[in-house]
Amino acid sequence: MSPSTVPEARLLASYIPITAGPWLSEADQVFDATTIFDYIDGAGEVYRSYNMKLLVSRRFHKDGKPDLVVDAFDMGSSEDAFGVFTHDLDGEDAGIGQGSTYKAGLLSFWKDRYFLSVYTEEETPETKGLVLELGLAIARAIPGEGQKPKILEFLPRQELEAGRVRFFHSHSILNYHFFVAEADILLLGQTADAVLADYGESGVRSRLLVIAYAGGGEAARAGKSFARAFMPEAGRKAAVKTENGRWTALRVHGRYVAIVFDEAAEGKARSRLDAVEALIDAAR
Amino acid sequence: MSQRTITRRDFLKVASAVPLAGALVPALKGSPAVAAEKVRVVLVRDENALDASGAPNAEVIQRMLDEGVRALVGQPDAIGAWKTLVHPQDIVGIKTNVWNKLPTPAEVEQAIKRRGMDAGVAEDKLSIDDRGVLRNPIFQNATALINARPARTHQWSGMGSCIKNYIQFVPRPSDYHGDTCADLATIWNLPVVKGRTRLNILVMLTPLFHMIGTQQYNKDFTWAYKGLIVSRDPVAADATGLRVLEAKRREHFQDDGLLKPTPHHIQLADTRHHLGVSDPARIEIVKLGWSEGILI
Repeated sequence: MSPSTVPEARLLASYIPITAGPWLSEADQVFDATTIFDYIDGAGEVYRSYNMKLLVSRRFHKDGKPDLVVDAFDMGSSEDAFGVFTHDLDGEDAGIGQGSTYKAGLLSFWKDRYFLSVYTEEETPETKGLVLELGLAIARAIPGEGQKPKILEFLPRQELEAGRVRFFHSHSILNYHFFVAEADILLLGQTADAVLADYGESGVRSRLLVIAYAGGGEAARAGKSFARAFMPEAGRKAAVKTENGRWTALRVHGRYVAIVFDEAAEGKARSRLDAVEALIDAAR
Repeated sequence: MSQRTITRRDFLKVASAVPLAGALVPALKGSPAVAAEKVRVVLVRDENALDASGAPNAEVIQRMLDEGVRALVGQPDAIGAWKTLVHPQDIVGIKTNVWNKLPTPAEVEQAIKRRGMDAGVAEDKLSIDDRGVLRNPIFQNATALINARPARTHQWSGMGSCIKNYIQFVPRPSDYHGDTCADLATIWNLPVVKGRTRLNILVMLTPLFHMIGTQQYNKDFTWAYKGLIVSRDPVAADATGLRVLEAKRREHFQDDGLLKPTPHHIQLADTRHHLGVSDPARIEIVKLGWSEGILI
């Protein structure tokens, strides 16, 4: 950890309680984007892909009881705090911070530029209660709130599943949520902002992917790359009925690329892309 | 479960592993099968591999390992079988895994070490290590490696595999994280390990089939499979273990069971790097012992 990150680590640590009921905390461990591998090995890449700055990990112990662990990430921006939170949306809403989920002893939430994971090694009624108490205390201690990524504004509301919206930058994370291709055919690199959202109901679900590139040239190149690799037979139509009988359609608009996957009808896919265009234009 | 249509997204998974560039539509109609000799993988299970508290039973683990190695090399007795793997003049590194939530059990490590010594290797020519292998004189000078690790899901590589277990042989593991660890198999070509691995043991006693959170571990997502997978081929061992994990996920989640991220480093170890065999059609699985809940 560099000396310049020490004050940030102290600030982040100050949001975490010293005790959790009768559980006492151990010494903090602090990691940055380089040393995170010492803590969670290759899994650190998920957090690095969201530009993590700092992680403060605090373990709580009580003899004869399961440990509790708080992993507090300073992601550098509220957009990336939101993004890493959307990496795993399974679970029930715990009503903590600016968005949260709880499942099987794990509470995840985001607030301001921070992403928090509060975890018990074994879920019991007692440890579940402590995990939620810890989460509430941390969320209250973080004074500010953050903005969600602007690109979310370009998702048409009609039929949107609000609880299944993912924000990310890398094609590895895209493939994690919805496999498109092994190669980075959308030229995401690590600099683009992307949002993937589900529409419709389970079983007839379609996906909308919207990507913001640095400029129109990059978006045009990405659109061509995708069309060549994924829908070579589409030609200028920029829409194709794929092997599962559903439609994929592509649109490049300024510095944005929007793609609908697995829509039931071509017209519906095009309508959704029209709606995205309209939202982008309205924001200008 | 209904038959799923193969789509271009499936093809674009395969396309990076098999050189079929520029042939999207024809390739979707199917490709010719490749005839080749099968590689052997032994899956040995024992209902008593774990005691009532869930701890490995050392005596049973030793017996399972012996049965597995005997079946693998086709020798009637365990020590004779081990003598085909390691020799008295060998310097033997036992590469384990110390991940604190699901490490290679000491019972497995000791069972390997015992048989190595039974095969004639001096105790001071054997070492068990994971994160210190690059600084360990035995591993620096090893003529033989035994690779043993538990099977688990992994948040970046998809699966904690035998192939991945050699990542500690590189000074900077993150150099191999690209494309969710696609090219881990290249580590096996480095001089420190190349051609030295005599046996791979994918420990399937309590595999982790799903992960959540930064800690990646929850006991609820493990189960008592009570097995060991043994093979000379790390890719075949991993491909077989992956089938078990996916089958367990199908059973538990009632979905397609596929791991996320895709553990494509296993398939690419075969198709891109030629380290071993990942295609189940080219793997002979010898199943020994307890068959209940075997899943594959």
